[in-house]
Amino acid sequence: MNKVILLFLFSIFSLITNAQNAEMADTFRQEGKIYVVIAVLAVVFVSIVFMLFIIERKVSKLEKELKNKAD
Amino acid sequence: MKNNWYKILSVILILYTLIWGMLGPVPRLDILNETIRNLYYHVPIWFAMLFQMGVSVFYSAKYLNSNKKEDDSVAFNAALVGILFSIPGIITGAFWARFTWGTWWTFEDPKLNGVAIGIIMYLIYFVLRASIIQETSKARVSSVFNIFAFVMLILFIMVFPRLTDSLHPGNGGNPAFGKYDLDSNMRLVFYPAVIGWILFSGWILNLFNRLSILKEVNNE
Amino acid sequence: MLKRQLYELVKKEFILEFRQKASLGGVLIYVVATIFISALSFNKIIAPNIWNALFWIIFLFSAITICGKSFARETAGVSLNNYLNYKPLIFISSKLIYNFLFLFLVSLITLFFYSWFVGYLIDNFALFILVLLLASLGFSSVLTLMSAIASKAENNFTLVSILSFPVLIPVLVLVLRIGKQAIDGLNWSVSYDFLMILSGINVISVVLSILLFPYLWRS
Repeated sequence: MNKVILLFLFSIFSLITNAQNAEMADTFRQEGKIYVVIAVLAVVFVSIVFMLFIIERKVSKLEKELKNKAD
Repeated sequence: MKNNWYKILSVILILYTLIWGMLGPVPRLDILNETIRNLYYHVPIWFAMLFQMGVSVFYSAKYLNSNKKEDDSVAFNAALVGILFSIPGIITGAFWARFTWGTWWTFEDPKLNGVAIGIIMYLIYFVLRASIIQETSKARVSSVFNIFAFVMLILFIMVFPRLTDSLHPGNGGNPAFGKYDLDSNMRLVFYPAVIGWILFSGWILNLFNRLSILKEVNNE
Repeated sequence: MLKRQLYELVKKEFILEFRQKASLGGVLIYVVATIFISALSFNKIIAPNIWNALFWIIFLFSAITICGKSFARETAGVSLNNYLNYKPLIFISSKLIYNFLFLFLVSLITLFFYSWFVGYLIDNFALFILVLLLASLGFSSVLTLMSAIASKAENNFTLVSILSFPVLIPVLVLVLRIGKQAIDGLNWSVSYDFLMILSGINVISVVLSILLFPYLWRS
């Protein structure tokens, strides 16, 4: 059983290493639409970071208030 | 500001990997095709999860020696952040598996099983914490369980998959990514991605810790 | 001195167990009754796969009933007394040894009745006994530590099974595979890898129990 699996995997990986002309999204890239995807990804990530930043500021503010109270 | 450098660095690194990970050259491989780029996003999330679990177990061990409540609280928060990172890890892994291995989930792969068991163990860690009312005994008992769970997690996902067959690279005689197709171009994105996501998880942990300190002070 | 203490503690555990006939009898009746039911329902015509799975499931549940309650007897007074008189290392070792021996004994009894009622299919008997030994060690060590953890929490017995299931599942999967190999009478070299992994888990869980138990005990 193990040998069968190994053989199967080995054949897959030998296929992989041999194939230099695998199908990739080349036309998609040529049309420049990849930049649209990147823009979307960047906007999503930046907005998540922005939300974290707001939480960060709120926490710092609370910490400062506590510090002032203690003094 | 001087303690916040890693937060900025993490954002810069992740933004870089989002952009250059999409644009940069990758090896042309059958079956994987363009999905090889998932390596930049799926794997670093697991690294961040493991990093958080490591932080958690470190603080649990520290608690057992110091008996300081703050250490236990950090351990709890780190485990929480780790679990939060494991959820996107599992979902992205399932997507990737569906379109390369042809199935959402396979019980044949020891790494998947190990991860599932590890996550269940950390969920049980939270159940255990919830079931003990007394504070010191809760912290002590859950620290002990945390150490046990972490050792088993490492065993199940790092050690045993290497001994048996796995579909993941680097296991059971399969060559690791580093050996054949993580070429120098991919490394330029992959390593920053790992560092970036680990730092990013550190930022979230930092927020959680400060919030629990605030809560603690408020309760007093 | 330490050896003597260890011996005495293990002996005490056995005496306590055999004095409480209800718990010992309960485990035996549970095992025999389950085997009897499975014999009736499968009617002796049974595939090796199912034979194997059924045996280990019976083993799993008897392990949980036996080892899961190992710290349930420790009331506040008793544990204080033990705490003052014994070192944690000696105490946890005695529990581990006792649970291991008792579980192995019960699993041998299970195997005997199971082979008698349901049928005997094992080809490589020595390998199967070795698996039984390793499985007893692994299950008892994990369950002992988890029982110690659960004794610090309120809802005792259900918590033991919840806490130990995630670690027991991989052990059970390994044991099922090696058990199947033993039934099929495959060569020893086939099972070598799995046996190594199983003993690895055993060693690590025993070491962890011994290392972590003192911290649990102090509270």
